[in-house]
Amino acid sequence: MATTTATLTISSADLTSNPLAITTSSTLYKAGTTIGLEQTTGLSKKVYAAAQTNATLINKDDYADNTHSRVYIRNSGSSSTDFFTIELGSSNIVLGRLYGGDFLFIPYEGEQDVDITSSATNMELEFMVINEG
Amino acid sequence: MATTTATVTINSTDLLTDELSLSTSCTLTNADGNNGLTGTSGLGRKTLASGHAEYVLFDGTDYVADKAHKIYLKNTSTDPTEFFKITINSEEIGRLYSLDWMFMPWSAHDADNDIKIDPSADNMTLEYMLFID
Repeated sequence: MATTTATLTISSADLTSNPLAITTSSTLYKAGTTIGLEQTTGLSKKVYAAAQTNATLINKDDYADNTHSRVYIRNSGSSSTDFFTIELGSSNIVLGRLYGGDFLFIPYEGEQDVDITSSATNMELEFMVINEG
Repeated sequence: MATTTATVTINSTDLLTDELSLSTSCTLTNADGNNGLTGTSGLGRKTLASGHAEYVLFDGTDYVADKAHKIYLKNTSTDPTEFFKITINSEEIGRLYSLDWMFMPWSAHDADNDIKIDPSADNMTLEYMLFID
């Protein structure tokens, strides 16, 4: 089995009067176990010349249901106003927006597509799935 | 305005034959441009004793829609079989098992886009923080 760790650090000296310094780390295990995830898409990059609407980024058919995978997506553009809208499932439930440089790291159970809608032309993103099956 | 930064690092020496060493940072800014997010729920913890399926952690009606909110969640349980199911508008995002964390944008796209948590056992504790646009 592989050992993959994900660490998040959030810090701010002036968000509140008490400085913020969160650091947390986890090893990426399969559901309900201490067995490390062994599969990945690798770090991928997509460049969208045209604006996209509900375009499938991660296809649920490529992954087993009810598993404990992880998804990393980053808007690798530099615009502070252009954004990707991240959507879940056939109803395209809006999760949130990734502006230039923003990232997300979420668990993924393989039961719904992850789609994107871009707010402009010539946008790019990076993504990686580290998956159980 | 405040300056809050989030950094994710994903490392593995044996997931692939090429070492994985990904690290990226972003400053948490609002949807209108370059101003840092100034609101927060603070770093909190919620313990659900029992009977709290689909507990509303963040109510979509409490926040402005189509903004650049950010959410941090962590399952503090050390039992590898215990998890929180995380949903948005009844769509499952995924499950956070022992010590797993997630970080994602949240646009509070409409009033139905509540963030709900559903523990797999009694007396589980979730750590959370919302950064508000």
